[in-house]
Amino acid sequence: MIKKLFNVLNQPLGRIGIFIIALVVLSGAVWGIAQAQKPPQQPIQFPHNLHVRLGIQCLYCHPGALRGPSPGIPTETKCWGCHQQIAIQGTELPKLAAYVKNNQPIDWVPVAQVPDFVHFVHRPHIAAGLNCEDCHGNVSNMTVYQNPQVMNMGWCLNCHRAKTANNPQNNPTNDPAVAAKLEALRVKLTDCSTCHY
Amino acid sequence: MPKELKSPTSSANTAQDVQGIWGMVVDQDLCTGCQACVAACSMENNVPFVGEVDAGYGRSMQWIRIERFWQGSYPNIKATPYQPVMCQNCHNAPCEPVCPVYASVHSLSEDLNLQVYNRCVGTRYCANNCPYEARVFNWRDYMDPRQRPELVTLANHFNPDVTVRRRGVMEKCTFCIQRIRHAEDTAASENRDIRDGEVVPACAQACPASAITFGRIDDPTTKVSQAADTSRGSHLLEELGTIPHVTYLAGGA
Repeated sequence: MIKKLFNVLNQPLGRIGIFIIALVVLSGAVWGIAQAQKPPQQPIQFPHNLHVRLGIQCLYCHPGALRGPSPGIPTETKCWGCHQQIAIQGTELPKLAAYVKNNQPIDWVPVAQVPDFVHFVHRPHIAAGLNCEDCHGNVSNMTVYQNPQVMNMGWCLNCHRAKTANNPQNNPTNDPAVAAKLEALRVKLTDCSTCHY
Repeated sequence: MPKELKSPTSSANTAQDVQGIWGMVVDQDLCTGCQACVAACSMENNVPFVGEVDAGYGRSMQWIRIERFWQGSYPNIKATPYQPVMCQNCHNAPCEPVCPVYASVHSLSEDLNLQVYNRCVGTRYCANNCPYEARVFNWRDYMDPRQRPELVTLANHFNPDVTVRRRGVMEKCTFCIQRIRHAEDTAASENRDIRDGEVVPACAQACPASAITFGRIDDPTTKVSQAADTSRGSHLLEELGTIPHVTYLAGGA
């Protein structure tokens, strides 16, 4: 039975069939991966670039990043704080006005996300001297936000290891006390329980 | 005279500049066996209620339980004191070397046992090797409202600081590590060390008799170190050499 099937598939037409099936499976996989990398559909095509270039700080709309775990995504009332004084024009602003009129929250889709079993806290990262763009990329070139890189564990750990490595950048005088501190910090920052609990 | 207890601080494989080795003291003379710690632990850590049927199969999920044994034979029966048993966070943990996927790992910086839920594939080897039976296995998605419509309101009671575990995953007491992390973060933001008594696990917080004390055991000045360093102190199954982080006090006046 299996031998018979093998004989059928070994003919030229059979080989072409196998090739076509392999091609379909491969392209399906590529399409699936591409879909997973696409930024999600947002209710409003929010132009980050315009707002950043007008000089609005990241922390004005995402204030939680300074002190808490989550920066927060603004509600329609925060947008309206400025936009009630600005003419409602174009394609996106009427959508905002409709949300405000109906007293509905804007159902933003979070993009920079980690899974449920990861507990990321923004505060220590800001306190360690990181800027928003170090992880979130140059938002002044984006309309709808897109992650500049895949936010996976390897990416997190690369930074944790680099920031605690005993090298001239972190320890310019090669002080053994600083080296011990960096070592302890590295153990702590590469510990599973730092993020997973 | 204080009894010599093997201390988890006498460790070679922890980092030199530790952030704090955490330990617990349970005073069995104060414990009334009221189970408030069990309820508080389940609410804090999203531990599901398995229901009557699965509990009958021995699949109850509790990260802390009150143990009590009968001594002697009828009619001369004496009950042992109430004994809340949670993960002892052993220094030499028997659960760790048996995990094939390194889901049960040791924290080098804090000398705690960790369970990494996203690594766990559910071989249940660790639970078989745990002498304290502190680990519980998640047999079903108990908290999934689609499977348990009667629990639909409980799905709104999840603690956002703790992972909601899926089925097929081993879990155990974490010494309320989310509260340790929160206290560390608060202390760091105020540029100071964690104060003694700042980290209170859910069981200690709920205990009406204050039988559970939690704190750093690498610092001899803390309340928990001083409580552990008495003649009443003992470790569970000390002869196994697991060097637990939980000390039980019993036999006081």
